[in-house]
Amino acid sequence: MSSSDMSDLDAHLEEAKKRIMNMPEVPMGQLPPHLQRQRTRVFCGSDAPTNTESIQYSGAYASMGVDNSLRLDQFIKNFKVEVIQIKHDVKPNYEYFMEFDMIGIDAALANAFRRILISEVPTMAIEKVLIANNTSVVQDEVLAHRLGLIPISIDPRLFEYMSENDTPNEKNTIVFKLHVRCTHGRLTVRSDELMWLPNGSGFAMETDTYSDKKSNPKTYTSFSCSQDSLPEFCDNPISLTHSDIIIAKLAAKQEIELEAHAVKGIGKTHAKWSPVATAWYRMLPEVELLQEIEDQLAEELVKKCPVKVFDIEDIANGKKRATVARPRACTLCRECIRGEDWENRVALRRVKDHFIFTIESTGALPPDVLFTEAVKILEDKCERILSELS
Amino acid sequence: MNAPDRYERFVVPEGTKKVSYERDTKIINAASFTIEREDHTVGNILRMQLHRDPNVLFAGYKLPHPLQYKIIVRIHTASQSSPMQAYNQAINDLDKELDHLKTVFEEEVLKHSRDY
Repeated sequence: MSSSDMSDLDAHLEEAKKRIMNMPEVPMGQLPPHLQRQRTRVFCGSDAPTNTESIQYSGAYASMGVDNSLRLDQFIKNFKVEVIQIKHDVKPNYEYFMEFDMIGIDAALANAFRRILISEVPTMAIEKVLIANNTSVVQDEVLAHRLGLIPISIDPRLFEYMSENDTPNEKNTIVFKLHVRCTHGRLTVRSDELMWLPNGSGFAMETDTYSDKKSNPKTYTSFSCSQDSLPEFCDNPISLTHSDIIIAKLAAKQEIELEAHAVKGIGKTHAKWSPVATAWYRMLPEVELLQEIEDQLAEELVKKCPVKVFDIEDIANGKKRATVARPRACTLCRECIRGEDWENRVALRRVKDHFIFTIESTGALPPDVLFTEAVKILEDKCERILSELS
Repeated sequence: MNAPDRYERFVVPEGTKKVSYERDTKIINAASFTIEREDHTVGNILRMQLHRDPNVLFAGYKLPHPLQYKIIVRIHTASQSSPMQAYNQAINDLDKELDHLKTVFEEEVLKHSRDY
C-alpha cells in the first residue's frame, strides 16, 4: 500500500469519526425517532403498507437498552376512551349506533371485542315455528327462516338459556302468534302482525283421546304465570324492533297461521342471534404534509382527495397553502400520493394503538350496553380459563 | 347429515377439562396449555399479554383444526419464572386491564350522555 493511499484512508477515517461525533445523541431508554415511528405507525406507501405488525415482544429493543414490556400500571395510565357519538333514534330511521375511540390498546384486544360482539353476546330470536296453516307461496322452511331473522327488542338478560331437556316456560321462551288471511286482492304481511302471547302457546298438543280435553289442554309451552304479570314486562310489553319488515305476500284466499317461539342464543350458533348489524374498527389515519404545498399544487391536492381531507388557507401576499383539515375522514385510498413526486409531499400513516370502534346494534340492547357486555364476557372467559386450570 | 351440532363449538363436553397443562419433556421451563372450546378471541389476546412479559422467551397459540374446538398455547420462559406463573400472571393482568377498560368506557359514556 502506498503512502498516499494510507493518508487517504486516514483522512477518510477521520471524516467518519467526525460524522459519528456530530450525530445527535439518543438518550438511554428511548428509541431513536425513526424506530419510534416504525413502532407506533403503519406506513401507507403508494404500492403497499409497511410496518403493519405490532411489536409486542418485551425484548424487541433490548440491544438499545429499551424495555418494550408493558406493565399493568402503564396500561392504565395510557388507556383512554373518547365517545364520538351515540344514536338511539328508534323511529323513523332506526339508527342504533355508536362510534368511540379507544386509545392505548393492541389490535388483539380490539379484535377480541369485535369477535365477541358479533358472535358471543346473547339475544333473543325466533327458533321454533309451529305452522298450523300456510297456503302462501312462501314455503314453510323459508318462512321460518325469515321469521328467525327478525330482531326482537327485548333485553336478553331477563331470560335464561333453554337447553335440550328444558321445557319451554315463561323464563326462557317468548311466544308470538301470526294469523293473517287475505280476503281479496293482495296482502303484504309485515312484522307488526306478529302478536306477543304473554300466556304462552295457544296450540293444544295432540294427546290421548281419553285425557280430559275440556279442562286446560296441554300446549306446547308450560308457562306457570303470564309474562305480562312479571314486573319486567308489565310496563313495557315485548315487541319487535321494526314494525315494517315484510314477512310474506298473500294473494286472495291465502292464509298463514303460525306460532313462533323465540329463545335465547348466541351468534356462534346462528347469525340471527347476533346483537349487532355489524361491529368494526379502524385505526386512526394520520396525514402529514412533508413540505409546504402552495398555489397550484395545493389546489391540485385538494381536488385529488375524494373525502376532502385537505383545505386551502390564504397566507401573506396572495399565496395559498394546503392544510390537513380533516385527517379522520381519510380512507387511505392513496389517491393523494398517486402520480409523480406526490409521495415526497404527503405521508399517510395509521396510528397503531388508536382504534375508532363502531357498533351498530339491531335494537335488543343499546350499543354502549353491548360493549360493556362484551367486556364482561371476555372477563368471564379469562376467569374461567384461569380457575379451571388445576 | 354428519355436521357436528352447533352447540359443540362452545359447550365443553363432559369428562374433559376446560384447561389442561402439559410440560415439555425436552426443554425446561416450557409447556403447552390446551384450552377447550376457545378460539382466536382468547388465544390472540393471551399471546399478546404473554409477549409483554419480560420473563417470557416464547409464546404462541394455534387452532389445530377448524373443527377441533380448542386452542393450544405454548409458553417458554426464562429460568426465574415458569410457564404456569407466566400464564397466571398474564390472565390476571388481562382481567384487571379489562376491568379498568370497562370503568373508563362507562364513565366516558356517562359523560357523553350528560353533555348531549
